[in-house]
Amino acid sequence: MASDPITAPAYTGKDPSRPILKVEGLVKHFPVTSGIIMSKQVGAVKAVDDISFELRRGETLALVGESGCGKSTTGRLVLRLLERTAGRVEVDGEDIFGLDRQALRRKRRDMQIIFQDPYASLNPRMTVGDVLAEPLRVHRVASGAAIQARVEELLGVVGLAPYHAQRYPHEFSGGQRQRIGIARALAVNPKLIVCDEPVSALDVSIQAQVVNLLQDLQAKYGLSYLFIAHDLAVVKHISDRVAVMYLGKIVELADKGTLYANPRHPYTQALLSAIPVADPEVPHGRGIIQGDVPSPLNPPPGCRFHTRCPHARERCKIEEPAFREFAPGHQLACHFAEEIAIPDTVRARQATQISDAYRRRLAAYESQQQRRRTAAEETTA
Amino acid sequence: MAEAAAPLLDVRDLKTHFKTEGGLFRAVDGISFQVHRGRTLGIVGESGCGKSVTSLSIMGLVPQPPGIRAGGEILFEGEDLLKKRPAELRRIRGGEISMIFQEPMTSLNPVFTVGDQITEAITAHLPLGAAAARERAIAMLRRVRIPSPERRIDDYPHQMSGGMRQRVMIAMALACEPKLLIADEPTTALDVTIQAQILDLMRTLRDETGTSIILITHDLGVIAELADEVVVMYAGKIVESASVKALFADPQHPYTIGLMGSIPKLDEQRTRLASIEGTVPPPFALPEGCRFNPRCPFADDRCRREQPPLRTLRDGHAVACWKAPLEEAA
Ligand SMILES: Nc1ncnc2c1ncn2[C@@H]1O[C@H](COP(=O)(O)OP(=O)(O)OP(=O)(O)O)[C@@H](O)[C@H]1O
Ligand SMILES: Nc1ncnc2c1ncn2[C@@H]1O[C@H](COP(=O)(O)OP(=O)(O)O)[C@@H](O)[C@H]1O
Ligand code: SF4
Ligand code: SF4
Ligand SMILES: [Mg+2]
Ligand SMILES: [Mg+2]
Repeated sequence: MASDPITAPAYTGKDPSRPILKVEGLVKHFPVTSGIIMSKQVGAVKAVDDISFELRRGETLALVGESGCGKSTTGRLVLRLLERTAGRVEVDGEDIFGLDRQALRRKRRDMQIIFQDPYASLNPRMTVGDVLAEPLRVHRVASGAAIQARVEELLGVVGLAPYHAQRYPHEFSGGQRQRIGIARALAVNPKLIVCDEPVSALDVSIQAQVVNLLQDLQAKYGLSYLFIAHDLAVVKHISDRVAVMYLGKIVELADKGTLYANPRHPYTQALLSAIPVADPEVPHGRGIIQGDVPSPLNPPPGCRFHTRCPHARERCKIEEPAFREFAPGHQLACHFAEEIAIPDTVRARQATQISDAYRRRLAAYESQQQRRRTAAEETTA
Repeated sequence: MAEAAAPLLDVRDLKTHFKTEGGLFRAVDGISFQVHRGRTLGIVGESGCGKSVTSLSIMGLVPQPPGIRAGGEILFEGEDLLKKRPAELRRIRGGEISMIFQEPMTSLNPVFTVGDQITEAITAHLPLGAAAARERAIAMLRRVRIPSPERRIDDYPHQMSGGMRQRVMIAMALACEPKLLIADEPTTALDVTIQAQILDLMRTLRDETGTSIILITHDLGVIAELADEVVVMYAGKIVESASVKALFADPQHPYTIGLMGSIPKLDEQRTRLASIEGTVPPPFALPEGCRFNPRCPFADDRCRREQPPLRTLRDGHAVACWKAPLEEAA
C-alpha cells in the first residue's frame, strides 16, 4: 500500500488536554404549533436531546445516523447558527452561547461549515471570486490587492485555477462547487470545520477526490472536523472517532477501530450490517432491523430504539438507558450491551475478498496516474 | 453468460440522441445487452453517463423532441419495441414491463391515495373489477411489508416515509406481474437500513416471481448485492460487461478499476482513495477516440485517435479498451 507523503504526518497539532470543541447536555426542541391565527404550541420535535461529546484538536469526529436523527441540527448548534434549548458548547475554551453578537462574529473566524448541497449553498449571482472575497472582507482578513492574491491562493489550495475566479457557480460541476464551498470555509483560517454531508451528493469518483482534498487540508492546516455523514464506509476512511445518533441521542461513541470491530449498541450493529459492500461473495439477507425511524415528535418511551431493537426487553420500554462508559474511550446507551453478541453480519461485511487481479490493476492504475501527475507538474514548472 | 434460451430483452446497438441548441447530445450511443429470464442485469456508471436514458428508451418514454431514436433495436420477447405503436406500448408499460424511479415522491401523484394509484395500475392491465383490484392492491402492500395495509392503502403519499413510498412504488410496479422490472436508482434516496430492507425485498420478490430486473445504480455495492450480470457505462457507451463475479474478481477497464478504487473499503485502511481525475464529459463535447481518454492514466495517441471496440475476452466478459489487461500496459 503506497502511503502518501502529504497525509502521513496528519494530526500533529493534537493536544488531547484541551479539546477544540466541547458539547455538554446539548438540547434543541423545535416547537410544533397548530392553528394559523391563534397559533399555540402543541408539541416539540426533539431534534437533539441531551448529547455530550468532545472533538480533539486536529481530529475528525464523525456523526452518523439515519435521516432526521439530528445530525445537521447538532452541526448548526455547534456553530450557533441555531439557538439552543439547553446545554453548553465550548469552542476553543469559549462558551459560544455566552457571546454577544460582535464577539460571536469574531468567533466565526474559528469555526466554519461546509454543506451537503454545493448548488444551494452558493449565491448564483456572485462570481466565485466574490464568493471567496466576501468572508475576507466581512472578517477583515485581507483588504485591497491582498484580497485577490488570497482568492487565488485559496483556489489553488482546493485544486482550482486563478481564472475560475471570474466564473459563476453554475459553470462548475458538483465536485468543483464543493471545492468552492471548501475554499470559502478555509478563507478565514478556521480551526474547526463542520462538514455536513460534504460528499453525499457527489458521484463516487468525485467523492474520492473531495475526501482526499479534505484529508490533505487537515494535515496541512491542522484542522479539526466534525464530519456529518451517513455513508459508513466513507466515515471509516476519514474519521478518528465516531458518534452514532438515533432520534436525537448519541447511542454509541468510540474510536473508529473499536466502533467497527466491536460495536456494542444494537443500532450500531444494525447500521454496520446494512452496508452494501462491493463483493458479490458476501452473503446477502442479513438480520437487518425492520420498520422505519419513529417520529421525533413522539419518540418511544424508555430506550428510543426499543421499537426496532431485536434485543428489546420489558425494561427497555420503561427505563431510558444512560449514556455510560462501557470501556475506556467507549461510551454507549444500552442496558444490555454486556450481554449482546456482535452479529456475524458485521464481521462478514468487513472481510470482503479483494481479488489479486484487481489489486494488481489498481496498483498499475495508481502508479501510472502518479507518473502522469509528476510529468504534468514538470512541464508546468 | 451464454444461455441457450432466447433472452427476454435483447437490446441491439441502441442509439438515443437529443437535438438541442447546444448541438447533438449522443446520450446513448450504440449499446447492446441482454436480459435473461429470472436474471438481474445491473447497469452502473457515474451520473450523466446515460443510464436513465437507456431505461427510458426501453419504456418508450424519451420525450420526442428533443429525443431522437437514432438507431438500434429493443427486442422484447423477440418483438422490436421501437416499432410498436403508442397504444401497444402503453399496454406493455406497467403490464409486462414496469419501472421504479429514484424519487418515489415525483412518480407518485400527491393528490391521490396510494390505493387509488395501485388499483388504477391494476385495472388498466388486468380484467379485474374495483373491489377485486382493491383487494389485490392490499395484498401487494402486504407483500412489500407495509404494516396494516388495509389502513395504509387510504394514505396519501406525503403521509408515508421515503422507505414506505418506495415500497408502494414496488407494489405498484409488481401488481401486474411484469416480466421485466426496471429499477432506476431504487434505493439512492434512502437510508442504509431502509436500503437494505428494499434490496432484501427485491431479492425475495424476484426469487418468488421469476421477474427479470434491470437494476440501474451508481453504487457498486448495490450491484454486488443484487445483480447477476453487470454492464458498466461511460459517456453513452458500454465499456465493460461481465457476470457480477467476473467483474469484481477480474475487472478490466481502467474506468471500472477507478470506480472500484474510489469506494472506501470497510476492511482495508488506505491513507488515500484512488480517484478518477476530472469529470464525465458532457455528451455534446465527447472526446475523439476512446471517450475515457482525458481521464485515463493509460491513454496514449492511439486512444486519442481510435475508439476501442467492445471485444470479448472470454465467455460473457467483454471490455472496450486497447490496453486491457492493464498490468501488461503499465
Ligand atoms: N427548523 C426546524 N423546525 C422544526 N423541525 C426541525 C427544524 N429543523 C430540523 N427539524 C427536525 O429535527 C429533526 C432533526 O433534523 P436534522 O436536520 O438535524 O436531521 P439530520 O440528522 O441532519 O438528517 P439528514 O440525514 O436527513 O440530513 C428532524 O425530525 C427534522 O424534521
Ligand atoms: N430530455 C433531455 N434533453 C437533453 N439531454 C438530455 C435529456 N435527458 C437526458 N439528457 C442528457 O443525456 C445524458 C445522460 O443522461 P442520463 O441517462 O439521465 O444519465 P444517468 O446515467 O445519470 O442516468 C446527460 O448528459 C443528460 O443531460
Ligand atoms: S436498551 Fe434495550 S432496546 Fe435499547 S438498545 Fe439496548 S437492548 Fe435494545
Ligand atoms: S482505450 Fe486507452 S484511453 Fe481508453 S480506457 Fe483503454 S487505455 Fe484508457
Ligand atoms: Mg442533515
Ligand atoms: Mg439517472
